[in-house]
Amino acid sequence: MRWTARTRTGIACGFVALIFTIYSARLVELQVAKHGEYSRLAAEKHTMRQVIHARRGLIFDRNGELLASNLPVRTVVADGSHIKDPDAMARLAAPLLDMTEAEFLEKISSGRKYIVIRREFAEDKAVTLQNALQDANMRGLYFEKDAVRIYPNGQMLGHVLGFLDHEGSGVQGVELTMEKYLRGHDGYRFIERDRTGREIMLYRGQEEPAEHGLNVRLTIDMGLQSIVEEELDSAFNDLKPEMAVAILANPKTGEILAMANRPCFDPNHPGDAKPVQMKNRAVIDMVEPGSTFKIVVASAALNEGTVKESTPIFCENGSFSYGGKILRDHHGYGMMNVHDILVKSSNIGSAKMALMMGDAKFYEYVRRFGFGERTGIELPGEIPGIVHPPHRWDKLTITRMPMGQSVTATPIQITMGMSVIANGGSLMAPQIVRSIEDPDGRVVFDKPPKVVREVIPRKTARFVSHALAGVVGQGGTAQLARVAGFTVAGKTGTAQKASPTGGYAPGKYVVSFVGYLPEEDPQFVCLVMVDDAKISSGLNYGGLVAAPVFSRIGERVARHMDLVPALRAESVSPLALGNSAVEKDAIER
Amino acid sequence: MNANRRKQINPVHLNSLCRWLLVAVLLGAGGLFFVYMKNQQFALAEEIRQVERKIAGVRAQNETLLARVTEFSSRRVLQQRIAEGFIAMKPIQDNVIARLTPPADASPDGLLRTALVERVRP
Repeated sequence: MRWTARTRTGIACGFVALIFTIYSARLVELQVAKHGEYSRLAAEKHTMRQVIHARRGLIFDRNGELLASNLPVRTVVADGSHIKDPDAMARLAAPLLDMTEAEFLEKISSGRKYIVIRREFAEDKAVTLQNALQDANMRGLYFEKDAVRIYPNGQMLGHVLGFLDHEGSGVQGVELTMEKYLRGHDGYRFIERDRTGREIMLYRGQEEPAEHGLNVRLTIDMGLQSIVEEELDSAFNDLKPEMAVAILANPKTGEILAMANRPCFDPNHPGDAKPVQMKNRAVIDMVEPGSTFKIVVASAALNEGTVKESTPIFCENGSFSYGGKILRDHHGYGMMNVHDILVKSSNIGSAKMALMMGDAKFYEYVRRFGFGERTGIELPGEIPGIVHPPHRWDKLTITRMPMGQSVTATPIQITMGMSVIANGGSLMAPQIVRSIEDPDGRVVFDKPPKVVREVIPRKTARFVSHALAGVVGQGGTAQLARVAGFTVAGKTGTAQKASPTGGYAPGKYVVSFVGYLPEEDPQFVCLVMVDDAKISSGLNYGGLVAAPVFSRIGERVARHMDLVPALRAESVSPLALGNSAVEKDAIER
Repeated sequence: MNANRRKQINPVHLNSLCRWLLVAVLLGAGGLFFVYMKNQQFALAEEIRQVERKIAGVRAQNETLLARVTEFSSRRVLQQRIAEGFIAMKPIQDNVIARLTPPADASPDGLLRTALVERVRP
């Protein structure tokens, strides 16, 4: 081949064309074939998905008093690669961050790109620090938005409200059960940042706004809650029991107006509390209800026609041998009708009514009163209690269950059981959440009162109610539960405490009083339960320990509700309470 | 002037020149306008960002203050204040209570005996 000028030109052109073709092919590969991959890589560098945090819903009491709210705070983070002069930064930032310069320098010494310097930093201090950094033209410290949940009333209602974990999810109480309403949904937006990390607003992309959490309105009345907490506190300090519970409810609607436990904890600082302080015993603790359970057998026997109001029942003069064991009363009683059996709290009379009725019928009424099943209250961890079916009963169970042994119930079940008598025979579902509202206050979901079932007819309920008024009247076991100006109806309970090793712990009692007022038209039902009060076992009775607490609560609640007294105020004379020297001693105390 | 010399003259075509100049000016102006608009957009976007930050700041400040107000007006703090004697509560006397539906008198003297009245009446 001759290397003519033409040939050489052709080769040169061909070579240049080849180079261009290669570059073009590469360009096509980059721009077309791998467009998606590279544009994704580029987007990852500059674009990010910014989360728009949803605000957690607030919790209010029935009157709009704020019980749980959010406090905006910042998390201070450092990007070690952005800090040019760590010493200068430490001099400026450390005092505002309430730490020493050495501590600050130690934290940022790793030089990592994401170092948490301080959590839950107050918003106003964050703004001050931000401005100081801007003035000094320093960068490297960034402020992430965050919020902490605050409970302005501290310990008050702590068990009902619950608290949040570090991720902002409900752990206990209403915070847990209403999580799906309170939480809301975080939104997002796609943004691009410049090399200094600032957002380029012009290139803001797709955006979905956050859906803020809904507000929850409880049935709790903080005025009443405050009364109950104060009185329970006072009893807890005086009697030093293992635990004390008080529940105040509206018997007609099942609304819980107040619920308090001792010991308690501050939901603002859940980490400081021991597990025993965090238990809401009103729903997760079961106890033998004791004599408060006698309302079940009395109602059942009357309703089934097993006994009539005036049917005399022989109470064996205080000692009844059945199934090889002797059942005793506190005093020896002879013939008594249902009214007197309730007033005197006769174990033998109650046992005989159950025997006359039979296992199956009695069990049916126990279940109809709501024992042995969860009430469905909007609080976590509720237990159903234990009510064994008749085929698992031994020979003694039929005589023990009517007086509240061989059966366990939660305080909320006992309260709702008494509400059946107070409201004329309906078992109401207890409710602690009244409504769900959007952030503007519009009701999204209203929870109406729910009747679980009609347990007994009104006539039977009224008869039992009159008898329960007698319990608080002259000669009854709970005269210290009286409230001046009102007819109180109620029932005491004194149950031996079960021992972890089996049987009953000697000298340890769970005492209670559950009652309501005014008896003619009950406005509230209240349970006071005290577990193992540190007093002489001769004084450890529901009528002496729990009834006075009920009386103090009842008086203040009646005043708060502005109930008009129907009776003339009269003081309770210690002599009227009985002949027992221990009772007089207790009253004087 | 001979014919050859006349041939070498390159006349300026004003029409064409003006047309191209106009095109260049329009293109230049278009470019400048684009840059100006782009700057304007960036400046406005930056303003929006600042306003957004201010709103977020004010909102956060508002929530902080609300939380403080809630805490200071909470039952716990108010009760503490009462205990300290910083504030006091005065019971409402029955002569300043207006009842829309007066309830039945509870005792012979015709006075309403709510528990509170029982306590404060001498």
